[in-house]
Amino acid sequence: MKKEIPAEPLSDESKRSDSTDPSEDEELSSYYGEDGEENGESGGESDSSEDEVSSLDDAEDRGTNGDVIKSVEESDSSEDEVAPRNTIGEVPLEWYRDEEHVGYDVSGKKIKKQARKDKIESFLAGADNVKNWRKVYDEYNDEEVELTKEEIKVISRLLRGKTPHAGVDPYAPYVDWFVWEDKAHPLSSAPEPKRRFIRSKWEDKKVVRLVRAIRKGWIKFDKPKEESQFHLLWTDDSNAADNKRHGVNYIAAPKPKLPGHEESYNPSIEYVPTEEEKNAYQLMYEEDRPKFIPRRFESLRSVPAYDMAVKEVFDRCLDLYLCPRSRKKRLNIDPESLKPKLPSRKDLRPYPTTCYLEYRGHTGPVKSLSVEISGQWLASGSTDGTVRVWEVETGRCLKVWDVGESVQHVAWNPSQERPILAVALGHDVLLLNTGLGDAEVQMRIKELLHVEESKSSEDTGDHGSAVRWFRHDKYDGIVLKHFKSVSTVEWHSKGDYFATVVPTGESRSVLVHHLSEKQTKNPFRKLQGIPVSVAFHQKKKIFFVATKKFVRVYDLESQRMIKKLETGCREVSSISLHSTGDHVIVGSREGKMCWFDLDYSSKPYKTLKIHQKDITSVSFHRTYPLFASCSDDCTAYVFHGMVYSDLNQDPLIVPLEILHGHTRSDGRGVLCCKFHPRQPWLFTAGADSVIKLYCD
Amino acid sequence: MDVEGSASDGSRQVRVRFVTKLRAPSLRVAAASIAVPSYLTRMGLSEIVNLLLENANPEHQNQPFDFLVDGELVRMPLDQFLLAKGISAEKVLEIEYVKAIVPKKQEDPCIHDDWVSAVDSSNGSFILTGSYDGFARVWTGGAVCTHILAGHNDVVTSARVINRKGHEGENNFYLATGSKDRSLRLWKFDAAEHVDHPLRIGAYKILPGHTSSVQSIASDPSSEMICSGSWDCSIKLWEVNGSEAAGDTVSIKKRKLNSTSSESEESQLEGAATSTLLGHTQCVSSVAWPHPQIIFSASWDHSIRQWDVQTGKEIRNMVCGKALNCLDIGGESSALIAAGGSDPILRIWDPRQPGTLAPVFQFSSHSSWISACKWHPRSWFHLLSTSFDGKVMLWDLRTAWPLAKIDSHNDKVLCADWWKDDSVASGGADSKLYITSGIEIH
Repeated sequence: MKKEIPAEPLSDESKRSDSTDPSEDEELSSYYGEDGEENGESGGESDSSEDEVSSLDDAEDRGTNGDVIKSVEESDSSEDEVAPRNTIGEVPLEWYRDEEHVGYDVSGKKIKKQARKDKIESFLAGADNVKNWRKVYDEYNDEEVELTKEEIKVISRLLRGKTPHAGVDPYAPYVDWFVWEDKAHPLSSAPEPKRRFIRSKWEDKKVVRLVRAIRKGWIKFDKPKEESQFHLLWTDDSNAADNKRHGVNYIAAPKPKLPGHEESYNPSIEYVPTEEEKNAYQLMYEEDRPKFIPRRFESLRSVPAYDMAVKEVFDRCLDLYLCPRSRKKRLNIDPESLKPKLPSRKDLRPYPTTCYLEYRGHTGPVKSLSVEISGQWLASGSTDGTVRVWEVETGRCLKVWDVGESVQHVAWNPSQERPILAVALGHDVLLLNTGLGDAEVQMRIKELLHVEESKSSEDTGDHGSAVRWFRHDKYDGIVLKHFKSVSTVEWHSKGDYFATVVPTGESRSVLVHHLSEKQTKNPFRKLQGIPVSVAFHQKKKIFFVATKKFVRVYDLESQRMIKKLETGCREVSSISLHSTGDHVIVGSREGKMCWFDLDYSSKPYKTLKIHQKDITSVSFHRTYPLFASCSDDCTAYVFHGMVYSDLNQDPLIVPLEILHGHTRSDGRGVLCCKFHPRQPWLFTAGADSVIKLYCD
Repeated sequence: MDVEGSASDGSRQVRVRFVTKLRAPSLRVAAASIAVPSYLTRMGLSEIVNLLLENANPEHQNQPFDFLVDGELVRMPLDQFLLAKGISAEKVLEIEYVKAIVPKKQEDPCIHDDWVSAVDSSNGSFILTGSYDGFARVWTGGAVCTHILAGHNDVVTSARVINRKGHEGENNFYLATGSKDRSLRLWKFDAAEHVDHPLRIGAYKILPGHTSSVQSIASDPSSEMICSGSWDCSIKLWEVNGSEAAGDTVSIKKRKLNSTSSESEESQLEGAATSTLLGHTQCVSSVAWPHPQIIFSASWDHSIRQWDVQTGKEIRNMVCGKALNCLDIGGESSALIAAGGSDPILRIWDPRQPGTLAPVFQFSSHSSWISACKWHPRSWFHLLSTSFDGKVMLWDLRTAWPLAKIDSHNDKVLCADWWKDDSVASGGADSKLYITSGIEIH
């Protein structure tokens, strides 16, 4: 730009000069010629008179004109803003050497060259005017400028290599604003510079660029974070995120045990075994011996190579490789919350808890118990070949019948008018007159228990000698001789019918006898399976036969099977009927007890796996909502079994009490349990030949 | 004087004054209050009283005492007792002392042939026992069996002396027994006649009617009626001296029925029940007739019932939750009911308390069924109980611990009674009747 600007006036000037005023060109050239002369003169002057000024002039002369102009232009002081008279710009002055003018003023008029002084004139002028040496010829404007004193001073100072202004002291003492010694905190009391508070231009630009980028959508926020390709080597692998990474079925390898104090090269003295202990290790089995015996070393330097290192790593690899890892399903449920909400035992009182009375006298395991309907007498049959009747109240043995054979089962006649005891032993069933009851009752019983020999023989003819009725001579009763051994005898609640079970009798295994008619019937010829126990329904004409796996329910009137209950047990041992007749409990030899609701299903309503060993007997209470089971593990369990008349409500079964007390004898525990008919008491008969009464 | 010596060892002291209601002047101490250490128990206090008595009377024989503070027997160290009862130890404590009960066992018991099931020793001169062999026996003086009452065919469950004072003269007594052969028998015997060997006597009257075992008999205070509780759930009332004509007619009819069993019982009369009280649903195990118009009965149906004799109606029915074996009325103004049953707790009810059926006292030191309980005939506080655990316990209402335990028996104790106010006669399943004396109740 700067170079172009003089080109234009140059071209203009040249045109103008070429075209309009050739005379001026002459003036100019003459001027320049003169000027050159003058220059030489002035140089001579300076040499002669005043070194400083001439040298200044020389310097000015020697420097290009551009430099002077430049200095004029660049000066920003207000003094120098006096515009130059000449307006030709920065063109070589040679162009105006031959012209009469040196240039143009502001209004465009030519500035005439001044008449040149010759040497004499200038000398004279210098002699006349003392101040003449101060005058400097301005070639550009073609005028002489008289320098002021101040300017002279400045020049002289500059010539001496000093600062132009005298007021400036370049060697002023340095005022140290900051403390340079180390301080605890690098605090500075310097005021914050202003720039710290102003954003820079570049920052502005950057902001503008970012704003634009955001507007145009080049920058996007909420970019999904990319997961790093690398995972932490030492984190626990068991968390879910890792499993997701490895796949659902991945199971992280278990971490090896980290070394503890024992494995330290210099463990505490208590970790280091003594010699005795080390010797003791030698006596141990290989697998019990500790794998690592801690030792102490003075320094790490003295620690030898670990001889087990390879083996341990190998073992570890074997473990990881060969040991299958499986995921254990663990339910995170509070086990308490899974328990059914049962009423408190306190609210279910009374129930038998404590043994207060023992009935001692038998010399062998007591196999069977039966309580008289009024609850005054208790009958028991034992393998020692005796049947005993006890007074419940005091434990007094009232009567003993020595029947000479191991007694399988005893049963009181449920009728209060007929104090007859049925005893199953061997092949026989005895009907014994207990001698209780008043005189009239006794007379009737004597009539009832009178069997004529002829009658019995007729019976045998009718029924293929399954059963024969005889008079028992010794005890004044009836004996029913069966063709095979009898296991159970059960009375009907009226006390006139009773049923006997001959387990090996096949088609004649369950027999029903009529006492007053002295007749025997065999209604169950097609019974499948081996019968274990039977029961009469108390009110309806329904009969229950328990075989080893099923309980069959027969209607005696229509003589057909109504229901077949599937116990799901391997071997049923006992059966008991609720007083309503709609619920049956069944005990099995594997310790399971099943509760059947006859209205509900042929499957058990509840199966209770309680006993460790065979259940020998189960029993319902006649009046209280109680039932019990006893087992060969020497315990008897008492349950609350509430049956509601509302058909929608399920029976409530609550375990109440475990009754201990009997001792094991010959691997048998409690052999029979029976409830007192009117009190919440439980009788248990044990293989230890004791009968116990548990009271509330 | 070691009392004062021991007082200086820095323990707390209580100022006490010993008082007594004992009549004998030799057993009275001066009324001055003395300081005793508070850790003293019954024994320490007893020593102090004995020392004081010895100081006053050098011939004094040492004997144990029992101590009452505010009507409660001291059964623990004095400071604990005061703390438990909230009695201030600052004031002078008034301690009443009574003679301690030290039961003296009888060395040779009265041996029966079978279990002793019933005992009545309301008369001081003899003891009546019933046994499982079907006989009732009279032991004159508590040592010699003078009379055997034969006739029952089964266990004698209950025996009772009807007239305690002797109705016809001094020595003629009426006795009643109940048996498991469903009958009651009335007997007359003369206590005056002395015999060398036991005299067999027969019943003068048979009272059949129960259809099951008779469990308990009680006679009314005027000795004219008896009542019996039975396994047939009923209570029957009988007249002791019924019209003989009516009895005869019944007897003839009965005799025809059981012609086989009846032997030469021509002289016996038979009587019928005057009334029957029905209401119990199970065996009536015990009856008591404390007032002419009121009968109490306890039953296995868990209830104690009160009957009005005149109307035969049930007045009160208290349910206690356990089958009951025994019942006795006594205590304060003969109003408290003591009963025990099929658990080891002896319970005492006060029927005068309105609106509550909770027992006022419960004694639970026994370990088995309670078979009998009996109030002391004179004392308001004392009663005894027997249990199948073989122990007879003496109770004082003023303390929860038994006053004394008599464990002479080595089998179940079935019955017991007070004899001559200071002895206890008890019979059990070891077929022995023990008489424990030295129980002086004041």
